[in-house]
Amino acid sequence: MQFLNQLYALSKRNVILRYKHSLIGFLWGFIKPLIYLLIFIVIFSAQFSSVKNYVLYATSGILVWFFFSNIVSQGVQSIIQASGIIKSVKLPVLLFPLAEVATELFNLALALMVYFVVMHWFGMVYSIQLIWLIPILFIFSIFSFSIAIFLAALNVYFRDIGILWNTIQPAIFYLTPIAYTEALIPERFSFVIKLNPIYYFIKLFRYPCTMPQHLIHTCFLSVSASV
Amino acid sequence: MSTLLRLENVSVRYRTNHASIHSVKDLLTSFANPFATKEILSDIRFTLNAGSSLGILGRNGCGKSTLLRTIAGIIKPSKGQLVVNGSVAPILALGAGLEMELTGYENIELLLSLYGKRATPVLVDQIAAFSELDDFTLRQPVKAYSSGMTARLTFSISFSQQCDIYIIDEVMAVGDMGFQAKCMQRIHALQEAGKSFLFVSHFPDEVERICDQAILLDQGKLILKGSSASICQEYRKLF
Repeated sequence: MQFLNQLYALSKRNVILRYKHSLIGFLWGFIKPLIYLLIFIVIFSAQFSSVKNYVLYATSGILVWFFFSNIVSQGVQSIIQASGIIKSVKLPVLLFPLAEVATELFNLALALMVYFVVMHWFGMVYSIQLIWLIPILFIFSIFSFSIAIFLAALNVYFRDIGILWNTIQPAIFYLTPIAYTEALIPERFSFVIKLNPIYYFIKLFRYPCTMPQHLIHTCFLSVSASV
Repeated sequence: MSTLLRLENVSVRYRTNHASIHSVKDLLTSFANPFATKEILSDIRFTLNAGSSLGILGRNGCGKSTLLRTIAGIIKPSKGQLVVNGSVAPILALGAGLEMELTGYENIELLLSLYGKRATPVLVDQIAAFSELDDFTLRQPVKAYSSGMTARLTFSISFSQQCDIYIIDEVMAVGDMGFQAKCMQRIHALQEAGKSFLFVSHFPDEVERICDQAILLDQGKLILKGSSASICQEYRKLF
């Protein structure tokens, strides 16, 4: 109970700090993905006119990607940034990266609320299967959290880790089929994508939104087993 | 008299990565362990009875703050045994735990929650009243505060806790005279109620006013313990 209070207090601090002194505050949560989306549409949509519901396809990928990349890049810095608190209050150190996960869940929830409505015009299918997003996000949070704490612990001793992460982040972004479809990848390079864990999560996230009839149960179980 | 605090042969080691490797070249050419351990405290041994207060004196960098963090449970001793029979308040150091970008009120709320307390409006008002900072100031981000104002805020938050041991790390000096007198009054009131203080300061006079016991540290070792009057005398001789 006390732990939850502390988690809530820290997450609230994160939210306040992130949007302090910004004019549109919370709106950034869905304007940032929107800008990416517009860029993709301008650059890629002619290429992918064959893809059904390209906007929906790209949006779902972008949202999942930002959720992950924000958790990791904030989480990596969270422990060293909290050094003042850690040195004076007895607290479990993992609370700080965990609060970043909670913050991002909150941000994603806000963004999803808007995009669930907007995506109606881009071929979103509303069905009971959307409930699956909750356990999928839960597992994805655990995945992101574990990457974040691993890097955060290293970052305490070697600040190179935080810089390195920010540098390779775009590479991982383009290695994941977010803006393009996996069909585009030549057969002999498909292993690159198959080794990319984020790919599976994004795929999972897309199923309930685009084709709920699909047997996502089996897919879901196989991914959770692999995590 | 019951024992409140007992340290037996407590040693604290840190892992640092600044020992042997300073560059990528070092990292690539040597296969040495990039970490080195540094002993900050070695074989500290003392006891403190309930109701008495301990002053901790020593040169800069002799391990005073590390000792406080160990007692507060933030650092685990690498060797030896630490027994604390009571609750320990979070360490009161200048600006400890304050988030510079947040306002005074937001900081009060955040720190109370982190200490495991509910930030009720009554409690927040009490803290604000004790700090004597006005409503306008408390709505400002803490980065705009002077060091005296920061000390007022941290003191007020810390004193709102009900604990058996209070830890003060060199913060008295920055408050103005009025606030120092007020803190001193509060400290004496708490002492009369049977609470203990661990007090780090570079002003032996202050240590003598607050503490009955004192220890003197030098390079991580406890070199003297005894009544605060005698230890302060020794401390003055050091310089």
